[in-house]
Amino acid sequence: PALPDGWAGDKGFKAIGKLSGTSQRSIEPVGPHFLAHARRSRHNRTFSEDDRL
Amino acid sequence: MSQSRGAKPGPEPAERVVIGIAFGNSNSSIAFTIDDKAEVIANEDGDRQIPTVLSYVDGDEYYGSHAKTFLVRNPSNTIAYFRDFLGKEFKAIDPTHCHAAAHPLDSAGTVNFSVKDKGPDDEPTSVSVAEAGTRYLRRLVHSASEYLGKKVTSAVIAVPTDCGDKQREALIEAVNAAGVEVLQLISDPVAAALAYDARPEAVIEDKMVVVADFGGTRSDVAVIASRGGMYTILATVHDYEFAGVQLDQALIDHFAKEFMKKHSTDPRSNPKSLAKLRLEAESTKKALSLGTNAQFSVESLADGYDFSMTLNRVRYEMLIRGVLAGFNRLVEGAVKKAGLDVLDIDEVIMCGGTSHTPRIARNLADMFQTTTKILAPATSTTAVNPSELQARGAALQASLIQEYEMGDIEQSTHPAVTTVNHISNAIGVVAVGADGEETFTPVMQAETAAPARRIVHLGCAKDVGGDFLIKVVEGGTHIKVTKPPPKPQQPVANGDKADDDSDSDDDSVEEEDKREKVWKIGRPLAEAAVSGVKKGGKVEVTINVAADLAITMTAREVGSKGGVRGTLAAP
Repeated sequence: PALPDGWAGDKGFKAIGKLSGTSQRSIEPVGPHFLAHARRSRHNRTFSEDDRL
Repeated sequence: MSQSRGAKPGPEPAERVVIGIAFGNSNSSIAFTIDDKAEVIANEDGDRQIPTVLSYVDGDEYYGSHAKTFLVRNPSNTIAYFRDFLGKEFKAIDPTHCHAAAHPLDSAGTVNFSVKDKGPDDEPTSVSVAEAGTRYLRRLVHSASEYLGKKVTSAVIAVPTDCGDKQREALIEAVNAAGVEVLQLISDPVAAALAYDARPEAVIEDKMVVVADFGGTRSDVAVIASRGGMYTILATVHDYEFAGVQLDQALIDHFAKEFMKKHSTDPRSNPKSLAKLRLEAESTKKALSLGTNAQFSVESLADGYDFSMTLNRVRYEMLIRGVLAGFNRLVEGAVKKAGLDVLDIDEVIMCGGTSHTPRIARNLADMFQTTTKILAPATSTTAVNPSELQARGAALQASLIQEYEMGDIEQSTHPAVTTVNHISNAIGVVAVGADGEETFTPVMQAETAAPARRIVHLGCAKDVGGDFLIKVVEGGTHIKVTKPPPKPQQPVANGDKADDDSDSDDDSVEEEDKREKVWKIGRPLAEAAVSGVKKGGKVEVTINVAADLAITMTAREVGSKGGVRGTLAAP
C-alpha cells in the first residue's frame, strides 16, 4: 500500500511484533537441500556466507 | 543416526560402489545412479520388482519370481513376507500372510523358519528371520554387482516410517552380514518425494505433499511439508487391512465362485489350488491395471479341472469397491491427522505396486482439488513408475552421500541437526487489491524449518509509483464455505441418478457447498517504507528467519541500491 502521511520509523523500518507460533519438528535427513542445511548448521554459517563460498 | 554398523570398518569413500535398495514385504528393488539420474536395475530374471521370496528345492536356493512360483509346489520350504518380522519378537508379529508359505516359528522369542535348505532328505534347518534377510539381500546385491560389473560395497535402504530402532538395527546387521555397508536408512515416503524432486525438470517449491504408498500387505500414507527442498513429516498412517492382497482376495473369491458354478469343489479349500489362484489372481490384477480386459486361467485348478475366464476392468472395480473406499479413508485420515484439509494439499505422490490401479488414482483426483497434482500413471503423463520411486530415491541419496565419511553422515543426521524450529504460521506481506481490500501474499509458508530465507518480488501497477509501505504480517488459512445459490428444484429425476453414480465411493453429492482456502491476516510483525519506486517497478522483499527465530527483513526496489533493512528479535 501507499505510504501514509506522517508514517515514521527508524531508517524506514518499524518493528511491531515477533514471531508467535513455532514447533519443534524433525526434518528428514535426505536430499541435497538438507545436506546443504547440515553443512551450514555444522559450520555455523548463514545463508549469505554459504552463498559466497 | 546412532545405530552401530558392526565392528568392521567400511570401505574408503572414494572406493565405494553404491546402490539404493527398497526392501519390501512383497517386492524389493535395486537402483543405481548414472549421470545424476536414478535407474532401477533388473535382476537376471529381467525383473525390476523382485519378489521378496526365498525358496529351497533339492538344496538349491531360489529367490525372486522363481521362488514365488514354488509357493505352489513347495510352500513349506519357501520363505515369504518376512521383512516386517526383522527385529521383532515372535509375539509381536502377524503371521497371516505366511500361512501359504513356511510358517514363522517361535524360538526363544525370536522369529525362525524351518526349511530343508540342504537337500530333500536332510533334516530341516532352522533359519532365523535375520538370516533369511541376509540371504535374500545377498542375492539382491549380487544381481546389482553383476549388472554394474563392480562389487557393490554400500547402500542406502528405504524403510517405513514406523520402523523402530530395533528393526533398524536388525536390518543394518542383516545387510552387513551380506557384506554391504549401510550408509543410511531413509524413510519410504521421503525417498519417493526425493525421486520426484531430483528429476532435472522438477522445480523445488514450497508444497504440501501426501505420499500414498499402497503396497502388497500394507499401506502407508504420509503427509510431508516440502519446504525449499527439505522435508518434514507432519503425520503418518499405517494400515494392514487395505492393501494389494485384499484386491487379490476379491479376485480369488470371484473366480472361486465362478469355478464352483461349474464344478463341485471350492478351490479355496485346498492349499495347492489356493496357491495357484493367488498367483494367477495377482497377475490378472496387474493386467487389469494396464488393459481393460484380462484373462484368468489356471491349469488343473482343482479336481483336475482347468479353469479359464476373462474379466473386464469395470467388473473388477465393482468387486473391489470396499477396498477402494478403504484407500480413500486412509488418505483422508492422514490429511486430517496432520491438521490439514484436502484443500491444503498441493501434490499427491502415489507409490507402491498397488498404485498402478487406475481407479485409486481417479478416486484421489476426485477427493482433492483439480489443482492438486495426482502423480500416478493413470492421472499424470509425467508420473514415475510408482513401484520404482523408493529405490530411485534411495539410490539418489546414496550417490549424494557416498563421498562422505561415515562419521560425517552420522553427525549430519544427528537429532541436533534435524530437530529444529518450524514456524506455525505463514509470514507474508499485505497488499491492497483493486477493490481497496487488503490481501495477504505468503512469502514463507507455515511449517517451514528455520533457518530459512525467502525472497518475493512485488510488482507495482503501471501507473502507480512513489512511496510504499511494506507491511509484514503473520497469516493463517481457513476454509471458506459458500453455499451454492439455490437452483430450481428438479424433483424425482435426481433420485435414481444418484444410485447410478454411486460406484465411485466418494461422497460426490450434487450441489456441493463450495469450499475454498482463504488467507487471514494475522498479527503484524513489521512495517518498512520504500520510497521513490518507479511506475511499474518491482519491490523485492527478503525475509530471513534465523535458527533462533529472529527475523531479518530487507525491502528494496529491484535494480536500486540500498533499501530498508530491519531485524526482529527472537521471541
